[in-house]
Amino acid sequence: MNKINPRYLELAIPVLSFGAPLAGVLAWRAGYEISFQYFAFGCLIGSVLLAYLAWIRPRKDIVALSTPLYAFIFFVVPTDYASGLVLQLLYALSLTLLLLRLKYRFGDPHTTVSSGKELAATMKEYADRTRDRVRASSIDGHRAAVVVSRFAMGDFAEAARAADGQPADEASLARAFSIVSEHATVLDRSLPRPDPFLDFLPEDSALLALPPTPGVSDEKRFDTALDNALLLLFTAAWNSSPADRPHLLACQGFLGKLLGG
Amino acid sequence: MKIGNIDVKISIISILVFVFFTIVLILASVFTPEVRSNLIWMIPALFMLLVIPVALNYMSRKQYADLEPEYERQAKTVRVRLINENMIGKIVRIEGVVERVHFQFLNRPQYSIADRSGAISCKMFTSPDEDIKVNDIVEVLGQVIRRYIVSGEPVINCVSIRKKES
Repeated sequence: MNKINPRYLELAIPVLSFGAPLAGVLAWRAGYEISFQYFAFGCLIGSVLLAYLAWIRPRKDIVALSTPLYAFIFFVVPTDYASGLVLQLLYALSLTLLLLRLKYRFGDPHTTVSSGKELAATMKEYADRTRDRVRASSIDGHRAAVVVSRFAMGDFAEAARAADGQPADEASLARAFSIVSEHATVLDRSLPRPDPFLDFLPEDSALLALPPTPGVSDEKRFDTALDNALLLLFTAAWNSSPADRPHLLACQGFLGKLLGG
Repeated sequence: MKIGNIDVKISIISILVFVFFTIVLILASVFTPEVRSNLIWMIPALFMLLVIPVALNYMSRKQYADLEPEYERQAKTVRVRLINENMIGKIVRIEGVVERVHFQFLNRPQYSIADRSGAISCKMFTSPDEDIKVNDIVEVLGQVIRRYIVSGEPVINCVSIRKKES
């Protein structure tokens, strides 16, 4: 099912749901008076396809997901020709409208949904790009994984404690630990933004996932420093501490959001 | 309407249902005399259409009011972008602008709150203390949950939403 292009499935929904009752009309005109209930199979299959398209999106549409249930309820009872035709055509129209709603309000099915087993393409590209430049010891790598994981879970006090340990050997990494520690402390104690606040140095820019933009507000710089620090700790952990990768994979939805800007 | 310290609000839907059945009952009594002998239980049943929603709203608002100090104590102030699926169950405080309000007429409002880092949906399962409108600057206290309990993106189960001075 994963290999089928969702566009074909989208096209199949109106084709099947309108096509089956129209085929029923042609069959009746040709003298084959089969129970019109059977021509509801197009609506039923269309509902299942719509539910599948809703399922593969990162944002789930509960209305589209429940259409197979409604198809069953509507079409389980035998109907005569006229009422069956009207019901099926109205249902097909509803499916088409729900498909349009799904497409325009619930995002693209191609958006990566992490299976939790592998790294998303953008994260992998960043981890590969910085692999040789962020040289962390396995101890720093593990500590970075703990900090990222705790921060993603909202355990800010523990993230700050873990980030506050012995300074990392690599200077950029040490700055990343300090920045996360400062932010985690601010979040844990619900403090206002410190002034001045810690930030990366210009020589770190090649390592950063989100290049600093000149002329932005202090608030934005403060937020970007945290995003960059968490992503730098992630890449250090990913490349230096393979044992921690399952924990990092569990946080990649959060990290991907930071990387996506 | 106040019961104790709780300001109880009844939804417009409940009022419309009450008005509709009142009209039905009056018309039935006027045009069908045999209905009149049943008014002794029909009129109390009619009032139950108002009493039950009021009682439910009182109970939910009282429970939320009891929870609020504990949430106030535990909540961490976070930016919207930091809220993620690993934080399910965490109690958070966010500040932002109300971008959209849905289902206020059902006493189950759903707000879209945005700060400079992003936007998130905040669901409330009772009526709020204050009348919250689009573009109000608010502080929200609540717990991070999944939109459909077991699946869906993280949203905030809002226990309190208050306007802030801009």
